[in-house]
Amino acid sequence: MPIPTQPAREQAEDTLAYIRETMESASTFTGVSGWGLVGAGGIGLIASWLAWAAATPALLRVWVPAALAAIAVAAVANVLKARRLEIPLWTGSLRKMAWGLAPALAAGAFLTQALTAQGTPDLLPGTWLALYGAGVTASGTFSVQAVRWMGLAMLALGSLALLRADLGLVLLAVGFGGCHVAFGLYIAQRHGG
Amino acid sequence: MAADSVLHGLDQVIHERRRLGIVSALAANDRQTFAELKVVLKTTDGNLSVHARRLEEAGYIKVTKGFADRKPRTEYRLTAKGRRALETYLEQMESILSATRDALERQ
Repeated sequence: MPIPTQPAREQAEDTLAYIRETMESASTFTGVSGWGLVGAGGIGLIASWLAWAAATPALLRVWVPAALAAIAVAAVANVLKARRLEIPLWTGSLRKMAWGLAPALAAGAFLTQALTAQGTPDLLPGTWLALYGAGVTASGTFSVQAVRWMGLAMLALGSLALLRADLGLVLLAVGFGGCHVAFGLYIAQRHGG
Repeated sequence: MAADSVLHGLDQVIHERRRLGIVSALAANDRQTFAELKVVLKTTDGNLSVHARRLEEAGYIKVTKGFADRKPRTEYRLTAKGRRALETYLEQMESILSATRDALERQ
């Protein structure tokens, strides 16, 4: 090929960058509701307080309903955000996010059963946070960058909770409560609600 | 050599920016609805319709029309011909850059 001129080279660079950006944008789910995460964080803080009041960090009769309520709040908030912004909700990116998160949540459910049966519930806070963090990090690959950072923060908190089981409840409050609220507010500010 | 002649052999169907965007978005995702593409490409209904039709005529994308929640839903997929066209176009862009690099190394 003859030597391309500078305009041709610049056009090629610009075109390749455009293709890359478009492909990334098409693979990203931007409909994550920040306010939904704030709501989930509020539920996490209430659950932490209830578990603290009962003096049992991994109290299943508190955390299981709290998890279901948080999922419901986040789902409703996502639907409302998608309707408000008139963006499609059930997209390929959201399906990929669901597939990224689901295995970690399923593993969390099985480990909860196993650790409870073996009489080691002290490991549950770390297990929940670490697996949820791993799932959110994986699913965050298909969403805005803040979701990935939230997953990594949860993963770090979970790892700490596994090493320091005595801090389990505090770390649950920081993770499921504080992290959800903080990243939720950030997403709400930066990504339209 | 003029830029125009270097770019002369490019596929003009996808060389146009919006059409290149549609094909790129569909290469990243198996299928996309009209609403999804509109968000990704930040364009208007009319603009997207015109360029999508041009790509459909060229056989680069396949269009399926249906209904979801009683609302019309148009879905687009990249055909094998469209994927090959994008791959060829990418190779041409990369060859422009590699020819430039080679020229610079020779200097």
